[in-house]
Amino acid sequence: MGHQISRRTLFRTASGLAVVGGLGGALSACGGGTGAGSTSSELTMTWWGSDDRHAAYKKALASFQKDNPKVKIRETYSGYDGYFDKFNTNIAGGSAPDLLQMDTALVAQYARKGVLAPLDSYVGKSLDLTGFSKTLLAAGTVDGKLYGVPSGIGVNQLTVNRSGLEDLGLKLPDREWTWADLRKISQDVYKKSGGKIHGVDDVGGGSLQAFEIYAREHGETFFSEDGKNVGFSPETLQRWWEYWAEMRKLNACPPPAITSAAHNDLTKNAVVIGKALFTFDIGVYGAGGSVTDAQLDFLPSPQGDWSGAREGNYVNGGVLLSATKSSKRVGDSVKIMSFFAQDETAIKAMQLFRGIPPTEKARDLIASGLSETDKLNMEMADYISKRVSAASDALPTPPAPPQGADQIWDLLFQSNLAIAFGKKSIKAQLGEFFDQAAGILGG
Amino acid sequence: MSTTTAKTDAVASEPSVPSTPSDRRERDRMRRRLARRRGGGWWPYLFLAPWFVGLFGLTIYPMLDSLYLSFTDFDLLTPAQWTGTDNYERMFTDDPVFWDSVHATLVYVVVSVPLKLALALAVAMLLNRDLKGIGLYRAAFYLPSLLGGAVAIAIVWRQVFGGDGLFNDFLAWFGIEGQDWISSPDTALYTLVLLAVWQFGTPMVIFLAGLKQLPKDVYEAAAIDGASPVTRFFRITLPLLTPIVFFNVVLQIIDAFKTFTPAFVISNGSGGPLNSTMLYSLYLYKKGFTDLQMGYASALAWVLFLVIAGFTAVNFIAGRYWVHYDD
Repeated sequence: MGHQISRRTLFRTASGLAVVGGLGGALSACGGGTGAGSTSSELTMTWWGSDDRHAAYKKALASFQKDNPKVKIRETYSGYDGYFDKFNTNIAGGSAPDLLQMDTALVAQYARKGVLAPLDSYVGKSLDLTGFSKTLLAAGTVDGKLYGVPSGIGVNQLTVNRSGLEDLGLKLPDREWTWADLRKISQDVYKKSGGKIHGVDDVGGGSLQAFEIYAREHGETFFSEDGKNVGFSPETLQRWWEYWAEMRKLNACPPPAITSAAHNDLTKNAVVIGKALFTFDIGVYGAGGSVTDAQLDFLPSPQGDWSGAREGNYVNGGVLLSATKSSKRVGDSVKIMSFFAQDETAIKAMQLFRGIPPTEKARDLIASGLSETDKLNMEMADYISKRVSAASDALPTPPAPPQGADQIWDLLFQSNLAIAFGKKSIKAQLGEFFDQAAGILGG
Repeated sequence: MSTTTAKTDAVASEPSVPSTPSDRRERDRMRRRLARRRGGGWWPYLFLAPWFVGLFGLTIYPMLDSLYLSFTDFDLLTPAQWTGTDNYERMFTDDPVFWDSVHATLVYVVVSVPLKLALALAVAMLLNRDLKGIGLYRAAFYLPSLLGGAVAIAIVWRQVFGGDGLFNDFLAWFGIEGQDWISSPDTALYTLVLLAVWQFGTPMVIFLAGLKQLPKDVYEAAAIDGASPVTRFFRITLPLLTPIVFFNVVLQIIDAFKTFTPAFVISNGSGGPLNSTMLYSLYLYKKGFTDLQMGYASALAWVLFLVIAGFTAVNFIAGRYWVHYDD
């Protein structure tokens, strides 16, 4: 009396099992819970960056371990993409790194959620911050407490393909240039190159390196003081988007497909692929690696050409080194931070790979070993930070951005893209932007 | 069989024999022994235990946990706070990106599944014959599916359909000037569809197995009656194959709803341009792990669960009307 399996039963069972298996997987991936910190005897340090930065970190850490053989460091590193996704997962899973490179843009969010260890009690003892200016330390300060040590001075600079300009018979614009000058030279690039090269990448959706400066030139901040809303007015954003709409019309910047492809992907940046000569993306050169063979040069963001325009630049802290609160090795982590801040071998190893070094002493130490382009980069950073401190009308350095800031930046990018692709009018998109921004920031 | 000689030798399996109390006792003992032999008791569960640990620890518990989290504001970093149905309300009333992702996912499912299955069946028909080296051809057609789930192939796709990619080089031979297919909101999703369709190997293998089982005599009879190949396909092959078509449809729809890797890699994790490749699973991931809204992501996961369950139920009900089982 053998049991006969009918085809009906077989297929129904198989389909059913497939359903259960498939769905279970999707749902169970989302469970989880908060856990305790790492318990291993090693100190885990993690950072993001280019290959050059990885090599520099490893070299510096090797030197640190020679002097501190008791501290065993496990190095984990990657590119920026997915870096914080992984960090979030590690924290939730109880395997957070002890010491990590932190983004100035995200430090407030993590500090307020109690993920990072406050460092104030170490300052002046095991954490030597001699030579760090107060404005610089602001980049790692949240609600009056220090949560991260800045790696260096970061300023917004445009990277320019100078040899490309010279090939077209054009000259590098003056440092004291305006948005109108940018439009003019971008148009010239397009004309002189026979329509092959656009002038500048489209940053109508660029936040930190572009629109924030423009808003500050209007005397407005990117985020409101309490972080519950954006700080700029619809009129300013409208004027900004109209500027870039005109740029696109004049072919002074590339079409949206190129802008879209370059999003989160430095290798597709308009300057890197040879479709533009000016870029607002500091990453193209800032990380130290040379992306193209061209001779690069640097310029400050253009200045406002309207009456009452203010200085828009500010100085921030490059990247930060932060310790996690759950770590049992905060003391050792602080030692390493101090090492990167002051030690000669560390400073020489890091060069400009984490921004312009933060102290006068460090800048002198590396000056002799720098390449021509490095020198231009450092010189421009120096020029901008001097101009900022001399300006009487510059707004103060913005505090660390509120939670949800990265969603606002993404919203700005997507909004500009929607306009550029012709999916939305500027007017319609303005309304949507402010609606959604208020929702995200909870204001 | 025979129960002739001794009365004490009464055999329980003979129901026609009138039963005495001792007979009944005997029968009960037999039944118990049989039950033991068939696998009663707790022994089987011991051997199943490792699987149960996995089922409860890695599937059921996390599922229930995520159900709980979907009613909280869990952000991965701080303890979850109960927020009731806020997440679900927000999804349907106050989250335009959610609708973008629903739109992208539905288009993806509705376009890619039929195309993929049609291609799988067509190729399976081609491969269902006795040729020299047919095994090699089958392997070759299955190959994309082996590569398909991999990140590497999605990266290749990005390159092929990029602005200076192979696809545009190919178009250039015909004097057509291409565009950046990945970076245009009107075409990006269809590059994902194409990638899905290209990975037709798994349903193809299942179709092939089904085709091999079809009775030859029916075809012979049809051929003698003068039925054309087209008629034979629609009147014989397709109806006989419906259980397998059904199986593939169910499986592929579920798979398509859950697609994540190609969308993540091809859009560089952004779901862009303009959320055109923001497949549901990618949005869920972004909310949970990038935007630190794990409670909301859990709610998204449960809505997906219900939607897929709903689609599958509809499939099973509709299947009653078009699936023919020959038993």
